[in-house]
This record gives sequence, structure tokens and C-alpha cells, in this order.
Amino acid sequence: MQEVNTKAPKDKFFREIENVRHPNETLIKTHCAYCGMQCGMNLRVNTKTNQIIGVEPRYDWPVTVGKMCPKGVTAYQQTNHPDRILKPLIRDDASLKGTDKGFREASWEEAYDLIARKFKELQGKYGKDTLSVFSGVSMTNEKCYLTGKFARVALQTRYIDYNGRFCMSSAAGGFLRSFGVDRGSTLPWTDIHETDCLFIAGSNTAECHPTSMFRVWNVQERGGYLIVADPRETPIARRADVHLDLRPGTDLALANGIVNLLIQNGYVDEEFVNQHTNGFEETKELVNQFTPEYTSQITGVAVEKIIRAAEIYGKAPNAVVMFARGIEQQHKGVDNVSGYTNMALVTGKIGRPKSGVATFTGQGNGQGGREHGQKSDLLPGYRKITNPKHVEEVCQVWGITPEEMPQPGVSAYEMFELMDQKTIRGLYLLCSNPAVSAPNQNFVRKALKGLDFMVCVDFYLSESAEFADVILPTVTWSEDEGTVTNLEGRIIKINKAQEPLGESKPDWQIQVELSERLGRGKYFSHLKTARDVADEFRLASKGGYADYYGATWDKIDKQDGVFWPCRDEEDPGTPHMFLDKKFYHPDGKAKICALPYRPPAEEPDAEYPLRLTTGRVVFHYLSGNQTRRIQFLRDMCPEPYVEVHPETAAKYNIEHEEYVRLYTRRGEAEYKVKITEAIRKDTVFVPYHFGHEKSINLLTIAALDPISRMPEFKACAAQIEKLEMKKVQ
Amino acid sequence: MVKKRLYLELENCIGCRSCLAACTQCGGHEQRNRNYVYDVNPLKNRQTMPLMCLHCVNPACARSCPAQAIQIHETGAVLSALVEKCIGCQNCTIACPYGIPKFDTEQNLMYKCDLCIDRTKDGIPPMCASVCPSNTLQWLTDEEIEAKQKQFNLDNGKWVTSMPYLEGETNVRVNLPGILQGVTKLF
Ligand code: SF4
Ligand code: SF4
Repeated sequence: MQEVNTKAPKDKFFREIENVRHPNETLIKTHCAYCGMQCGMNLRVNTKTNQIIGVEPRYDWPVTVGKMCPKGVTAYQQTNHPDRILKPLIRDDASLKGTDKGFREASWEEAYDLIARKFKELQGKYGKDTLSVFSGVSMTNEKCYLTGKFARVALQTRYIDYNGRFCMSSAAGGFLRSFGVDRGSTLPWTDIHETDCLFIAGSNTAECHPTSMFRVWNVQERGGYLIVADPRETPIARRADVHLDLRPGTDLALANGIVNLLIQNGYVDEEFVNQHTNGFEETKELVNQFTPEYTSQITGVAVEKIIRAAEIYGKAPNAVVMFARGIEQQHKGVDNVSGYTNMALVTGKIGRPKSGVATFTGQGNGQGGREHGQKSDLLPGYRKITNPKHVEEVCQVWGITPEEMPQPGVSAYEMFELMDQKTIRGLYLLCSNPAVSAPNQNFVRKALKGLDFMVCVDFYLSESAEFADVILPTVTWSEDEGTVTNLEGRIIKINKAQEPLGESKPDWQIQVELSERLGRGKYFSHLKTARDVADEFRLASKGGYADYYGATWDKIDKQDGVFWPCRDEEDPGTPHMFLDKKFYHPDGKAKICALPYRPPAEEPDAEYPLRLTTGRVVFHYLSGNQTRRIQFLRDMCPEPYVEVHPETAAKYNIEHEEYVRLYTRRGEAEYKVKITEAIRKDTVFVPYHFGHEKSINLLTIAALDPISRMPEFKACAAQIEKLEMKKVQ
Repeated sequence: MVKKRLYLELENCIGCRSCLAACTQCGGHEQRNRNYVYDVNPLKNRQTMPLMCLHCVNPACARSCPAQAIQIHETGAVLSALVEKCIGCQNCTIACPYGIPKFDTEQNLMYKCDLCIDRTKDGIPPMCASVCPSNTLQWLTDEEIEAKQKQFNLDNGKWVTSMPYLEGETNVRVNLPGILQGVTKLF
């Protein structure tokens, strides 16, 4: 039976509970495959067939105490799903690109030979940088780390980037600017319910990070306050003490307006500001113009609400500012992050328990995956590829010379532009489905189709795989082991519950074997197990900001995870950041940023009078490549829809459940109307988890943030057209 | 073993349907979920609520059953119909004021929430209350429930959902007045 858990201190939600054990079953402790919450779960494995057959709550995981959203509960169904790709697939007829037709099964030998030949051919003709790697962060740190090395050492190309550009890049940019370090949360999640005020901006927490909700509600149950900034009255906004129902894309004005009120009304922690920050005076001057009236004009939020929100946050003894993609997926996403972070910095509500700033990390390893060298300009340990000392340190681990280290590349969306211009002709895609998730899909799909040669590594035939020449079958999260870093910055362990299905292989193994084919085996062949990769990865991160060296698998198990930085064997890790009020800028101070407001890149006009915003639903994850195949989740949300306010619907003479055409300057799609008062009248919302002609990213705009290169998924101008006689029940 | 009960804090529900997904995971449940989650007023707002079997002390479903197929477990859980006794008359589905019993036409058999009897008989929380991310569904001792009741200085004193003219006392407890009523703000 389960041993009594005596590890980390548990909070009041923790209950000691024995798991149910059925005959002929064993339980493998692990975490969910999907979002940054990384809820603990036990996979039920049949000991006769050695197959995963179900899930059992993991009551002893301190962050989520057994709780899971419906994605987590059904996640196990991915592993032995009939849609799994079991052998490498090759498509000989390139004219079929963009469809799921024409693939034939092949051996790994044949697939590797073909890839190696094509890659060499292309690089021989067009230079090393003609190849590119597009990766993702829904995989372990070890895989993310090795992918960066694979691109730079095996393929020797500068062009590598990843889907975190569409997810966490603005949070990263904002935190780096404000704090000098990018750890998604300055405090552990077990603090959240103990704070006195949660200020949550642009996070549909109840749907996107549901297992945070028992802590969020507990703040209110204790008499604390919940403030939510969101254009929609989401399930969390519904119960907020103040719902700041702003126009999409106007966050920075709201943040400036609130900071202004905090300063005007005497909530500044002068000692903290003087000793531990820079930039207060400029910021004070800049936000001065953001009176409640002016802020209200820009944001559309009532003056009283803005005043009340600032008052609550100002008065709260402890408060946490939290945000997510709502504020980050804008072409001023980085400014929004720094803007809201200013609230904590001017009031000194940071660097102590129960107060701080956090972003809700979108992907399972959105935190760890962005730290270790999949980003065009980063190397392991959050090192910069433009910093000679950093390059030197990594070269020592990799065994190459600094001259051999490629230059920085370009961001995810910009890679598609280079494909279109034929600067990039070959693509190795893994762990991502940009043919659904990238903005301005008509362009992106054209760029993918125009490639000379494309490899896609996935366990299902995704919409993006439809553009590939070769598909390599990889494993799901349950068929390999390694670490991921959850939204707290806590490094945790994913465990293997089943052998790889069919001929599928883990990504790291594919990369090692392919490196050997490309004649680069001497840099990779020593990596024979996931743990080998882990050991090299810890070493490569050593000495960087995101130092994982001391986070051994053993320690992770003993301590219920390890918060980075964790520099050596003795270091227990860092659950709370900045307790010593030392920030990571060279002078040890945080930066309060003076940020002029800019409107969204595309504002509504007579032709396109509506604001289109996009997001998630609780039943699906990212591009839906995984969750759309799970029966329960598909039953609950089979297709996208457009949310419209009843008054707006009346204007267009459209009804609930009627199909309409929604269009922007970039594209169009047909959606079923969902009428709801829980949205602004000037705004429509469509979830983005769907592909092909249903993808809302056919309509979204690729206006990029100047720092993070994040596209503006959250705001563009749109119009609705009624379809004649097409009412469907 | 301290007796625990299912306790519902309806106002907490976020409509995620995790309770339904998890229901299928209980050993005896044959991958079918047994309860419901409703959108309370879908055109207006995002409020949802679970509709769970309340495990009535004197359940209408069992009373209406001409074949005594619906047994009450010693823990108070009102079980699914016994395969060997259920005659498929569907009286129970009509008798229950909440419409909880479901009917499998293929097997000609009623099935309903049995409070994960495989788990709860050993004091392990039912699947729904284990996973519910919002703490709408909780598995609590009577003491814990009483402490909650005191915490909310409720003016009407009502604490159960079922009125005398429906089903009287239930094993499941529901906080009907809503979690935020009577909460004293910290500042
Ligand atoms: S998707 Fe996120 S919230 Fe849901 S179970 Fe998985 S990790 Fe938890
Ligand atoms: S799991 Fe909880 S929050 Fe989700 S629908 Fe069920 S009762 Fe509501």
C-alpha cells in the first residue's frame, strides 16, 4: 500500500489518502501531458499486458492534491489510441502536400537515409542555414535541450525556434526586463490561496488552468478579493469582486491607469522603491496622464471599477498579480507584462511569501522549454547566443569551438517568412502543429507547402504533418521519462508507464540516430538513455540563470520537485524568488518601466467594426491534435463557435446556433453562433483548437511584438456576414 | 473510519465536466458517467452546476422500484439497480425528482451514481470529488461540514437542497445559499 508521505510540508488542502489498487494493476506516478499546471496523476497499468488502461488521482502531489481537469482525466487515452502512427511514413508524391494522402509505411532505415540524403543535398546547394527546426515545449527539458543542440551541432543551422513564441515569449521578455530573470512565478502555487487579493489579467483560469481554481476560490472564501481583467465574463470573471471588462488589446492603458491610482493614493512602498528599483520617477510621470477617465476612455471599463480595483489591490496586505496569454499575445505583450508587474513593484508586493507576480504557463513545459536553447537566440541555462562567454561555456559541454556555433536565427513566425522567400528550404518539425496554431494561416500553409523537404515528428498525423515528406513516429509523454518545469518554476519528473507503441521512438533517440546519419555522431552517440541526456543537460545549464545542475532526479523525487535555480547537490532550490530583495539586473534592482500606450495593430473601422479575440476552451489543448481525438473531449466540444453578444447578434440579424461567415483582411471561416451576454458588445471570440477550414488563425493577424516577436492573437478587426438559408440544428 | 460525505458548493462550479470524465474511471462504472452538469443560463452567463445523486435517506427511486432492485449500502449510498433484479420498467427514472437514474436500453438496465462504492466503502473519495478542480465537489467529515456552516453566518439557516416536499433528508450535503453569502471581507 501507499507509503505515508512525509516529504514537503503540505498545505490545508492535502489529505492523506490511499489509492485504490485493482488486481493486476500497478500505478505509475507522473504528471499530466498537457498544460503548465502539470497536475500529478497516477497512470494505471495492467501488469499482464503492460498497457496503460486508466488514471487514478495522485492525492499526494502538493500542488494539485489529486485534482485534474477533463483533459487530464482522459490524457491516458492518447497512448494506445488507434490514430497513433506506428511506423515511419514517406510520401513520394510531393503534389499531395497539404493533404493526408499518399503516405506509405517505411522502415526507420529508409526514412533516415532519405532524410540524411535530402538534408545534405539541400545544405550542399544552399548552405547550412537552408535547414530549420521548429519545435515545441510540450515535451521534457531533456528533449528541449537536445533539440537545441541537434539544430546547432548536428544540422549546424542558425534557424531554430519554437511554439513558445506563440505562448510564453512575452512573459519571458517582460520578466527579463522587469526582474532580469524569467521565472514564470515568483512564488509557489501553494501560496496563492493564502493571499488577500488576486489580480488576474487576461487569464481564463477556470478553463485553461482549472486546477488553480480551488485556490482562487479559497481566497474569496477567506474574505479576500478577486479582480479579473478580461473582455469576457469567463467562469472566473463571473465571480470576481471586480470584473474589469476591457476592450481586447487595451491592457497597457489599464495597467498604467491602476499604477497611476496606486501612486496618487499613497500605496507606494517608498523604501522598497528607493532601495530595490529603478525607473519610478519616469514611470510616475508617464502614468500621470492615465487618469481613471482617460483609462476608461481607452479601455471601455467603467471609471468606478478602475478606482475600486486599484483601491483593493493597494489596500491588500498581500496580493498576487497574475496574467496569461490574454495580455501576452498582443503586439505589445512584453509591455503589458511589465506594465502589470509595475503594480507589484511600486507597492513592494513582491519578494515575500503570499505576494508576487506570476504568469500561467500555457504548455506543460512552457517554462523549462524556453530556458534551454530552443529559442533562436538562447542556449542552455538561459544563456545568450550573442554573449561570447555564454557561447564558450556551452561549447565546452558540446565539444565544438565557438566559431562553429551558429548565429542567432529568427522567431517562429519569421521562419515562415524565410520559407516563403526560399531562404529556408528544409524543415524538421517536432512537438508542434503550426498549421493550426500560427497566425495568418493562409500564408503559413503556403510557406509549408513550398518547402523543398519537410520532416514532421509526431505521434498523430497532425494538420502540419499533412505538409511533410517524411513523418517519424514519436512517443507520447507516457512512454518515456524526463523532467519538466511546471508553471511555478518547479522541476518535476515524468515517468515512463509503457513501452513505446509500435516502432515509435522518443525524440531524443531519433535525434541521436539522425545525427549519426549526418556524420555528427561523435557529439551525440554517448546519449543512450533519457538519463544520459538529463545528465548532460544539467551540466550544460550549470552556471546559467536557469541553473538546473543541482536538480537531480533523486532530489526531485525526495522533495516533491525542485524550484530553479538549484545550483548544486546541497541547494534545495528556490521556491520564493527575491526574498532577499535582490533582483537579477547587474545592480540588483528591479525595473519599474515607463511604458507609453499603443493601441492594437489593427483597430476596428467601418469595414471591420468588431474586435476578434481568440482563446481556449476547457476541453481542448493547443491545436487540438491530441484532445480532438479523445471521445469525451470531442463530445463536449466538437467544433469551434463564435461568441456574440445578443445586442450585436440582433444588429446582424443572426441567431443562436446559426452558421455565419466571420472574416478579416486575412481570411474567413464559417462558425456556429453562440449567443451570450458574457462578452463585450464590440467583441467576438472564437476558440483556436481547430484545423483546416475551421481554424480561427486563418483570420488572425501576424503583427509581432518588437521584443518577444509574439503575434497579436488577441486582437484584430473582424466582420460578420449572415449566411443565407443555412440554419443548422 | 470516520464517515465522510459528498458536499456540494454549487457556486464554485466552473463547468469543466471533469466530474463526468472521472466518473467513467471508477472500477464498477463501465466507462459510463452517471451524473450531470448543467449550464444554468447559457445565453446569459457561464454559470454551471453539477446535478449529482443526493443519496436520499428515503430514496424515491428505491421506493418506486417494484422489484427491490435498488439497494441502499450501509454507508447510505443508493446503489445502481441489481442486474439480476432490475426488470427494466424505468419507474425509478421517473420517480427521482432530480432525474438521476439513467437507463441502458441495450442491457434493459437502470444505472446510476453509486458514490463510487468501490472507493467510498474504504473511505476513499469518489472520483468526482477527487478530481473536481474548483472544490465544488468535496468529500468531508460532518465536523468539517459543520465548520463550514458556522463560517458563513447565514441568515436563512438553510443548508440542504431538497425540500420536504421533494426528498427530505439526503446523505449528500449541498450549500444552497452560496459560498459567498455571509463571508466577512478581510478589509
Ligand atoms: S490539462 Fe492542465 S489542468 Fe488539466 S489535468 Fe492536465 S495539467 Fe491539470
Ligand atoms: S468537476 Fe467540479 S467544477 Fe467541473 S463541472 Fe464537475 S462540479 Fe463543476
